[in-house]
Amino acid sequence: MRPNLHFARSPIRLNVVTPESRGQAPILEMRRISKRFDATQALNDVSLTLYPGEVHALLGENGAGKSTLIKIMTGIHQPDAGQILLDGRPVQIHNAMHAQSLGIVAIYQEPMVFPDLTVAENIFIGHAERNPFMRWGQTYRKAREILALLDVKLDVRMPARGLTLAAQQAVEIAKAISLNARVLIMDEPTASLSAHEVEQLFKLVNTLRERGVAILFISHRLDEVFSIADRVTILRDGQWISTRPRNEVTSELAIREMVGREITDFFAKTPAVRRGELLLSVHNLGKAGAFAGISFDMYRGEVLGFAGLVGARRTDVGLALFGIEPADSGEIVFEGRPCVISSPQQAMQLGIAYVTEDRRQLGLSLPQSITANITLPLLRRYAAAFGLLNFKAEAETAERYKQQLSIRAPNVRVDVGKLSGGNQQKVMLAKWLNTKPKLLILDEPTRGIDVGAKAEVHHIINELAQQGIGIILISSDLPEVLGMSDRVLVMREGRQMGIFDRAEATQERVMAAALGQSPASDEARPAIQEVTL
Amino acid sequence: MTQLTSLLRRWETLLLGILLAVVLFNIARSPFYLRIENLVNVFELSIEKIIVALVMTFIIINGEIDLSVASVMGLAACVVARLHADGVAMPLAVLVALLVGLACGAFNGFWVAYVGLPSLAVTLAGLIGYRGAARILLEDKSIGNFPDWFNALGQQPLIGPFPFALILFFVMLIAAIIILQRTAFGRYVYVIGNNKEVARYSGIQVQQVKMKLFIASGLIAALAGILLAARLGAVRGNTAEGFELDIITMVLLGGVSIFGGSGTLTGVALSILIILNLRNGMSLANITGNTQTGVIGALLILSVLLPNLAGQVRSLRNRARPASPALAQVSQGMETSGSSLRP
Repeated sequence: MRPNLHFARSPIRLNVVTPESRGQAPILEMRRISKRFDATQALNDVSLTLYPGEVHALLGENGAGKSTLIKIMTGIHQPDAGQILLDGRPVQIHNAMHAQSLGIVAIYQEPMVFPDLTVAENIFIGHAERNPFMRWGQTYRKAREILALLDVKLDVRMPARGLTLAAQQAVEIAKAISLNARVLIMDEPTASLSAHEVEQLFKLVNTLRERGVAILFISHRLDEVFSIADRVTILRDGQWISTRPRNEVTSELAIREMVGREITDFFAKTPAVRRGELLLSVHNLGKAGAFAGISFDMYRGEVLGFAGLVGARRTDVGLALFGIEPADSGEIVFEGRPCVISSPQQAMQLGIAYVTEDRRQLGLSLPQSITANITLPLLRRYAAAFGLLNFKAEAETAERYKQQLSIRAPNVRVDVGKLSGGNQQKVMLAKWLNTKPKLLILDEPTRGIDVGAKAEVHHIINELAQQGIGIILISSDLPEVLGMSDRVLVMREGRQMGIFDRAEATQERVMAAALGQSPASDEARPAIQEVTL
Repeated sequence: MTQLTSLLRRWETLLLGILLAVVLFNIARSPFYLRIENLVNVFELSIEKIIVALVMTFIIINGEIDLSVASVMGLAACVVARLHADGVAMPLAVLVALLVGLACGAFNGFWVAYVGLPSLAVTLAGLIGYRGAARILLEDKSIGNFPDWFNALGQQPLIGPFPFALILFFVMLIAAIIILQRTAFGRYVYVIGNNKEVARYSGIQVQQVKMKLFIASGLIAALAGILLAARLGAVRGNTAEGFELDIITMVLLGGVSIFGGSGTLTGVALSILIILNLRNGMSLANITGNTQTGVIGALLILSVLLPNLAGQVRSLRNRARPASPALAQVSQGMETSGSSLRP
C-alpha cells in the first residue's frame, strides 16, 4: 500500500497584496550583484528583494543568470561585487551550510531524498537530534509535527523509497521547515511533476507563504508562475530586466522581456492536416507490467500527440516502438508490412527514431563532441577504405545541422556537455534527423529548455511534419501537446483512454481523460496518482 | 595560448616530461643505457605484458576490466607445453593454445556482455579458474625442450637486433591506435565506456562490442603467453602469475580512466616507456627489484593524485576571491556553472 497524501484546502487568495503595500521589511536583499566566470558576465548589477510571505517568481531563459543568483544566495558562489542584506544587515554567505544556518534553503527539480532512510531521517538529515546517540522518539515526534503543520499525511517511519515525487518534495519542504527556513528557493520544482502533483505542491507553497516564508520560485511553465507568484522578476543575459506584481505581467510581456523579442505563435499551430498515406498501424500493443491495449493509425506528415500524467507509461510505448523494451503482445504494421521490432537496430532499419526525454543519461554522450554525437547512430556509414572514419564527412554533417537547427556553439568539436539544455536538445534532434527517419518519436522534446529554444523546437517539428515525417510527440506540457498535434492520444496508467482530433482536444477533455474522470465530475476528490518512479 | 595551455594540461604531456626525465637520468647514470642491445633489452623483459596492455586499454576505456589475462597467458603456455610433451606437433599445439585463450575470453565475455555480470567478478573467477586449469595441466613439473625454431622465436633477433615479439608489439600498437582513434568500433568503445545506455539508445550493439573485446583479450593474452613460453624456454604452472597488476598499472598510469570513457593509447605507450625505462635504469644502477616495485607504486599513486590536486589548485585559484581559500575549498566539487553553460 502506498502512502496517500491528503492536503487540506487552503483559503483562496482573492487579490494580490504586494509586500511593499503591507509595509513589511524585506528578509533578504540582493543588492547590485555582479559575478563573472572567465569570459562570461553571468550576472551584472542584479538586485532582488524578498519579503516575508511572498512567492517571488524568477524568470529567464537558460543562461539568464538564475542559477548563478541562486548559487550566490546559497553561498556556493561568492559575488564579485554587490551586497547581500539579511534582515537589513549585510552578510557574507560563506557556503551552503552557512546559508542553511541563516535560514536560506534551496530545493531542486529532483528531490534529493535518500531512498533507504525513513521520512523522518530524511527530514532531519544533517541536523538530527543527537546526544550523542540518535534520539529517535524526539526525531519522529518533531517530524510528525512538521508534516502536520504542512497538512501532509505521511508515515515518518517508512523508508523514502517508493514515495511519489510529490511526496518526496513534501519531505524536502519539511526538511526546509525543520531548518527554520525563512527563505526557500525552489528551482524548477514542478518540472517532473504531473499536473495533479503540481496542485499538491502549490498547496504546500501556500501554507509556507501564510507562515511568512519568502519563496523564490523558478519555473519554465508560465501558467504556473502566474497562478502562484505574488511578484515576478525577469532576468536576461545576466541583467535585471523588471520586477512587477503578478497582475501587471502578462505571458506575452514576460516572454518578450525574457527573450528580448516577440515570439509570434508561441505554440505554433501545425498547418491544416493534409494526411499522407498510412505509415504505422498499431493494434492492441501491450507489454506486461507496463501498458496494454494501445491501438492507433498514423499517417505521413502527421503529428500524433501522446498526452497523460506522469506514470501514464507513454514513454514505454515509445520504447517499444523503438525496440529498446520490445512489446510482448499486439501487432505493428509499418509501411504496410507487419513487423516485430525487437531491437533499436531493427527499428532504425525500418526508419524509426526515438529522441529520449533524458538527454543527459540516455540521449547524449556528454564528454564527446557535437560531431561524434550527431554521427553516432550512423557511424558505420562514415567509414571509408579499411573502415577508417572520414572525419571530414562527419564534420560536414555536423556543420550542416549546426546551421540548419542553429545550434549555438563555438564549433562542432565542443563537448556536448558544455552546451545549454536547448542546444543539447537540438544536437539530439540532429543526431536522429541524420538517420533520415520516417517515424520520429519525440519524448518531452522541450523539457527544461528555455522559451526561445522551445519555440525553435516547435518550428522544427512543424517543418519535419511538412516534409512527410510522421511524428509521435510525447509531452507533459498540455498546451504544447494540444498546440502541436493533429491528433492527441491520451493514456492513463498504461491504458489508452482515447484519441481526440485536434478540434475536440480541449485542455479539459484531455485532462479529464488523463485523470480517468468524465469531464462532468470536475469536483470529484482528486485521486492520488500511482506514480512509479 | 589556449592551445598551449590545453596541451600542457594534457596527461600525455606530463607523461612525456616524466619520460624525458627518466631517460636523461638513465643516460647520466649509465654509459650502457643508450646501447642498442640495452634498448632492446628494455622492452624484451616485459614484452608479453605490454602486448596485453594494448588490449587492456580497450577494455578499461570500455568501462570493464579483465583480471584473468595473466592466468590466460599461463594457461596458454601450459597448454603448449603439455601438448608438446605429449608429442603433439608444435604448430598444432600453438593453435590449440590460441583457441583455448579465445574460449577463455569468450567465456568471460558471455557473462559480462550477455548476462550483465560485473567484469570485476567474472574475470576474478577467471583469474582463479584458468590458473587452476594451468596448474592441473602441468602439476608441479616444469616443461621445456621446445623445438629450436620455437625458442628462437622468443630469444633470437628476427630483423636487425629486434626479436619477433618486439616487432609484433609495434605492429599491434599502430593497429590498435588506428582501430581506437579512426574506426567506428573505436568510437563505440569510448561511447560505451562513457555511458552504455546512451550507446544502446543510439542503436549500438553494446553486447557485441563487449564480447569482441573480451574475445580479443583472451586471444592476445594466449598469444602473449605462448611468446613468454618461447622466451623463457620452459613453462611452469605459475608462469605469468601476477602479471595482470603490472598490465593494469601501465594502462592506468597512461591516463586511462578506471571508470571508462577516456584515455588514449599514446598515453599508455608513454606510460609503458616510463615504467620499462625506469626499471631498466634502476637495474643498471643496481637498485633491487623490490625497490623498483616500490618506486613504480609511488609513481602510480602520484599519477592518481596529481590530476586531482591540479584540479583542486585550479578551483582554489578561481574561487579564492573574495572568499578565503579555505571556504572556497568547501564549495569545490559543486558544479561550476555559468562560464561553460552559456552558448
